[in-house]
Amino acid sequence: MPKNLKLSLDGNEFEVTLTKVDREDLYGTVEIEAFDEKGKPAVLKVLAADGKTLIEKGGTALAAVNEKGDSIERSELTAVDLDGKEITRVESSFNQVNELKKADVDSYLGLVVKSVYVLDAAEESDIEYLKQHLASKQMYIFPFSYRGGLDYDSAYIVGDEKNDAFMIVGKDGDLEYVKLNQTGVLSSNEEQDISADDISFDLL
Amino acid sequence: MAINISNSQNRDAVVAVEGLLGKQEIRYVDAKGHPTGNRRILKADSEHELPILMKKQKTLEKVAQLLIKGDPEIDIELTGMFLTDTSKVYVSPNGIVHLVEEYELIYKPDGELRERRLREKTAQNMNSDVPVRWTGKFVKKQEAVRKFVFTNTKQVVHINGLTFDFLYQMAEDLDKKESLLLLRGGEKGDEPIVMNRGGKPYNAFLEGRVKDSSYLLLLHLSNMELKRPQGVAANGR
Repeated sequence: MPKNLKLSLDGNEFEVTLTKVDREDLYGTVEIEAFDEKGKPAVLKVLAADGKTLIEKGGTALAAVNEKGDSIERSELTAVDLDGKEITRVESSFNQVNELKKADVDSYLGLVVKSVYVLDAAEESDIEYLKQHLASKQMYIFPFSYRGGLDYDSAYIVGDEKNDAFMIVGKDGDLEYVKLNQTGVLSSNEEQDISADDISFDLL
Repeated sequence: MAINISNSQNRDAVVAVEGLLGKQEIRYVDAKGHPTGNRRILKADSEHELPILMKKQKTLEKVAQLLIKGDPEIDIELTGMFLTDTSKVYVSPNGIVHLVEEYELIYKPDGELRERRLREKTAQNMNSDVPVRWTGKFVKKQEAVRKFVFTNTKQVVHINGLTFDFLYQMAEDLDKKESLLLLRGGEKGDEPIVMNRGGKPYNAFLEGRVKDSSYLLLLHLSNMELKRPQGVAANGR
C-alpha cells in the first residue's frame, strides 16, 4: 500500500497519492534484437580497454577511492557540505507535512528532472483547492526526499492542460550566465554510437 | 558537443553545448577528512560469471562446492581493476560481432507488440552542414511547462567573441518574448533534434535570458508530454 504524502497550501492540509509516470507508460517501449552474420543471437557486453576482456551487465561496480587511488569502505566515508561540515540527514517527506510555496517558471525551467508523478487525492482527502490554483497557472515548490537521505530534491507541483496535478522532482540546475570571456569548448566527438538501450521511437 | 544553429535572420554559427548538471553540494571525505572519489572497477569478467562456471561444472551443487573451496569467480589479475575507455560490443556464441543486424521490437504501453522492424540508425542533425533552424514558432513558458516534461536540458555557450554577440542577441530576443522557441533540424527544418547517431529524437526548445552583459541560453529537450497515462485512473493504476 503506497504511502500518502501530506501537503499544505495556505494552511489547508490535504493528502495525495503518487503514481510514477515514465515515458514507457505514455508511448510504450522498444527492445532491440541483434544477430550476427550467421543469424545467431548477439547480446551487448562491455569491452575493456585491453580489447579482449568482456564484461556482462552487472560485472562492474563503483568503488570509493582516496586520493592515492586505494579503495575505502563506504562505512568509512562521511558526507560533508561545501564548507566541510558534516551533513545532517534529512527525513523522508512522507513523515511530515510539506508546505507548498509559490514557484516561478524560470526556476522550474532550471530543474534537472529525475522523475514525474501524477498526484491524486488520497481517500477522504480533497485537492480541489490545489487544483483551482494550478488551473490559474500557479506552480508550487517544496523540498522532497522519498526515503530520507543526505539532502532534498526540489519538487514542483504543476498542472497540465486537463488540470491533473503533477509533481516533477529533480535537482536545481547549476545555471550560470556567461560573459564574453567565458568561452565554451567544441569537443571533437560529435558523432558516436550509443547503447541500444537508449533508442526510442514515438516522439510525442 | 557542438551545435550548428541559425538565428532569426537565418545566419548560422557553430557553438558549444554543455550539459546542465544539478548543483553539487555534497562531497565525501575519508576518516582523515581527505576528499574521496568514485572509480568504476571490474567485479567479474564474462569468463568468471555463473553461466561459464555452470558449463564447466554442469550442476549448481558442484559450483557451490567450488565456491566453498576456492574463488573460481575471481581472476586475480583482473578483478578490481579500474575500468576506463570501455566500449559496448555485440557478442554472439562466435565471439565479438562486427557485422550486426538489429531489429526493433516496438511495444505499446499495455505491453502488446506493435511492430518488429529492421533498425535504422538516424544520423545526428545537431551539428551537420544544415543548421538547426530558428523556426519562429514560440510557446509561452507558462504554456510549455504545462504541456511538456523537459527530460534533458543543455546550455548553449559561445566559443569566441563573434559567437558571443550572436548568442547574446538570441538570448535577448527570447528574454523579451518570455517564450520558448521551437527548434527543428534536417534539410526541410521539420525534424526533431537527434544528438547522436541512432540516438533519441527530441523536441527541442530554446530559452534565453540576459543579465547585464551576460546571457543564459538553455536548450530544453523533451520526449514526453505532461499528461496522465491512459489506464492510470485517479488514485493509481
